Amino acid sequence: MRSLRLERQIDGQLWARTGDREVRVKVHRCFPWSEPGRFVSLRDAEDEEVALVRDAGELDASSRAALEDALAEAGFVLEVTRIHAVEEEVEIRYWRVETRQGPRSFQTRRDDWPREVSAAGFLIRDVSGDLYYVRDTGALDRESREWLWAYVE
Amino acid sequence: MRQRAEMKRREEMKRHGGRMDREIVARYTNQPGKMPAGARAAIEAEWDGAPVQLYALADLDARLRLAETWVALGAECLAVAHRRKIAGHDSRAANAPAEWEVRSVPRSSVRAVSESPGLSGTMLSFLAEPDEPPLATVRYTHRQRRAMENLRFVVEEQLRGRRVEPAEPDETYAESVAAPIREAQALVAGSRVAVIWRLLGYLRPYRREVTIGLAAAGLITLVSLIPPYLAGYLLDDVVRPVRDGTLDLSRGTLAAWVAVGAMALVYVVRQAGALVRLRMLSVLGEWVARDLRTELYEHLQRLSLSFYMRKKTGSIITRVSSDTDRLWEFLAFGVVDVSLSLVMLTGLGIVLVSLDWRLGLVMTAPVPLFCWAIFLHGERIQRLFMRAWRKWSGVTDILSDTIPGMRVVKTFNQEERETRRFDRRNASVTEEYNRIHRMWTTFWPGLMLAVHGTTVAVWAFALPRLLEGPGAEPGLSAGTFVSFLLYTTMFIGSVEIIGQMARTMNRATSSAHRVFEVLDTEPEIVEQPRPVRLEPLAGRVSFDSVTFGYDGVRQVLRGVSFDVEPGEMIGLVGPSGGGKTTVVNLIARFYDTTGGTIRIDGVDIRSLEIGHYRRQMGMVLQDPYLFHGTVVENIRYGHPEADLERVIEAGRAANAHDFICRLPHGYDTVVGERGQTLSGGERQRVSIARAILHDPRILILDEATSAVDTETERKIQEALDRLVAGRTVFAIAHRLSTLHRASRLFVMKDGRLAEAGTHGELLAKQDGIYRRLHEMQLELQGPRQGED
Repeated sequence: MRSLRLERQIDGQLWARTGDREVRVKVHRCFPWSEPGRFVSLRDAEDEEVALVRDAGELDASSRAALEDALAEAGFVLEVTRIHAVEEEVEIRYWRVETRQGPRSFQTRRDDWPREVSAAGFLIRDVSGDLYYVRDTGALDRESREWLWAYVE
Repeated sequence: MRQRAEMKRREEMKRHGGRMDREIVARYTNQPGKMPAGARAAIEAEWDGAPVQLYALADLDARLRLAETWVALGAECLAVAHRRKIAGHDSRAANAPAEWEVRSVPRSSVRAVSESPGLSGTMLSFLAEPDEPPLATVRYTHRQRRAMENLRFVVEEQLRGRRVEPAEPDETYAESVAAPIREAQALVAGSRVAVIWRLLGYLRPYRREVTIGLAAAGLITLVSLIPPYLAGYLLDDVVRPVRDGTLDLSRGTLAAWVAVGAMALVYVVRQAGALVRLRMLSVLGEWVARDLRTELYEHLQRLSLSFYMRKKTGSIITRVSSDTDRLWEFLAFGVVDVSLSLVMLTGLGIVLVSLDWRLGLVMTAPVPLFCWAIFLHGERIQRLFMRAWRKWSGVTDILSDTIPGMRVVKTFNQEERETRRFDRRNASVTEEYNRIHRMWTTFWPGLMLAVHGTTVAVWAFALPRLLEGPGAEPGLSAGTFVSFLLYTTMFIGSVEIIGQMARTMNRATSSAHRVFEVLDTEPEIVEQPRPVRLEPLAGRVSFDSVTFGYDGVRQVLRGVSFDVEPGEMIGLVGPSGGGKTTVVNLIARFYDTTGGTIRIDGVDIRSLEIGHYRRQMGMVLQDPYLFHGTVVENIRYGHPEADLERVIEAGRAANAHDFICRLPHGYDTVVGERGQTLSGGERQRVSIARAILHDPRILILDEATSAVDTETERKIQEALDRLVAGRTVFAIAHRLSTLHRASRLFVMKDGRLAEAGTHGELLAKQDGIYRRLHEMQLELQGPRQGED
């Protein structure tokens, strides 16, 4: 993969250079939850694959940094650090949480359960499609764990 | 005049919707219900007073932390407003324009808009010339996506040289943020009391029954208090005086028999009361449930198709079935049980305290505690049920996954793994249920122990005083004590009902909420006060600059105009998402246009009588819907009175008569809920027969011949050719060959009528869309001929 170089432009766009081709690319993790660090597909404006990065270690340092920046942005999800309350309403479940990004309240459909994505990690999807990641249920405080208990494991 | 009334009604609906949306945003999201006055003032000041036409919130900053940045669009400019201090959410400070830092660029300098969508966050950049840094970049979560898309749509339309003038920025913003929540739950879960009141309103027509039922229930409660009193009276005023010799034996015997008779009478009255109560109220509850179901179903029939697009079928069905059933339970028993238990507990409390205040207090003081314990238990077990429900859905998921997919399971030889997967989930759901069983089996005996504890306490307090004898001052008579013990046994039932009151109310209010949500949805298509009937309908259809959008400012149709003469057959072609289906949906008046006018025979479609108009309209869809019933019932769906001769005629014309005759039960064959017993092509021909019998003036064919084999297609095509003769037809087709009879073809692309003309005219166009489609299909057809 030495022939692939990645660079972030001033406008935040990621550009890939392979051989003599230089193209703006979007990053797409093939396994965002099971293997977040490996298999990243770089795709052009027509959504065609430009290259598949099997492991960031294959890239030179500056390309790797550019890729990691782009991945952080594309893979962004709100990360729940604390749960204040979960209320059941008529057809929705109403969550009030603290996230790493700030306080937030959101709603899920009542038959839409959090999805297990790793050993202790859960992903909650709200009615708008936003994702809320609970990295490790065990690391939450007791009150948050109590709230969450009915919905995970 | 009529139009003004119509506009007023629409405005009223819109205002109501807007208020609701703002309420939803305020109640459910921690973001402002509209752009803060300060930000707006600051932006408009930057624009020399030009008003904000459309805006959206970008709720992430460059470091992807939650923030508040507003993007606004005016007639000439685009502005981004950041809050100067990032100090929490102080809404008052937000109203000061000085709090906001505004960057504005002329809209004409935007050359492109680029969007990088991520899992939860999207980055949107407004770009200037290539190689120049972007004019503005904002980041936001999916919650803001619809509002941002509206904004982006307007900007991109301008890039294409088209001007969109959005109005009502506050409404548009609130609507787009609230939409996903409203789709899941169309109302703000409001005050429980208000919902219960509204529900009780349904009892009004049955005032007499309610009064009798309640009176009977009251009577039962009152007479229940008599037997313990009588027991006490017998002991203190008959048995003991007779033993002591202070009362004459014969008078004592008489009094005793009178008391026994009274006791018997009490029980007779009580059970008679119970009979009246149970019968009156259960029948009454059934009536109310019936009324609700009728009202719901009638209302569902009136609701526009957009409602059915938003709601899942299952959720609508449960509202009519199980929710009304639950309301029956509540009205028939819940209301009375709860109110009488309250009366009973108060009555008992008063009687006990007045019999003997010390013992009375010992007995009544713990009652609130018991109620509280039952309430808490209910809440806790509710959480367990939630878990069990989730695990249970895990089990049913496997079933609905693997049973229809059994062929795949077997092909890959994965039976054992599937069994293990099922076993795991089965074990885990069992564990959850057993957790529930452990909980309630611990709780109830424990509670009973506590209740008996108070009885023991009563004994402990009473005995010393009993032994002191009636002469001593604080003494307690044996009769009072016995009455007391009997009264205490009556406590427990009421305590149980009161403790579960919260849950009963909860269940009833959520069912009522779901029912009222439907009843409160207004049909979007409404008839005008004096609608026009076109008789006979000639079938001239004209579109005059018709625009339409399902939601927000995004338009699915953008200024479509055409005139179709009676008897013409129009083929609608073009890429998917181009607006073909929307055109036919508008002709059928499933929706009303957002702008422009549709005229049928020169009359505005909105002033036609809907039912009468639709009776002259027919539809044959890709997946024809047959109702559960016989073939003949399905063919006669639009005209139940049509005679059998005509049914067979229609069957023949639809090429369906022969295969129907081959069925053992002929035209009386019952077809399944979605006509499962017939093949796709057969169902299609039954639906064509239905359309032929219906004899519409305007006919819509939506992909009527896709998904069938060539032979069947030929038969359907023949049937269709007979069907279309002499009617105005709009046919949507991907396979252009099926449109060989069309008098003209309309090519729809990007919500516009891109090309129109005959097959020959359109082929003659160099670089024409139709020509390209045609060539592509010819290429594909070569190798696939015969197998298709």
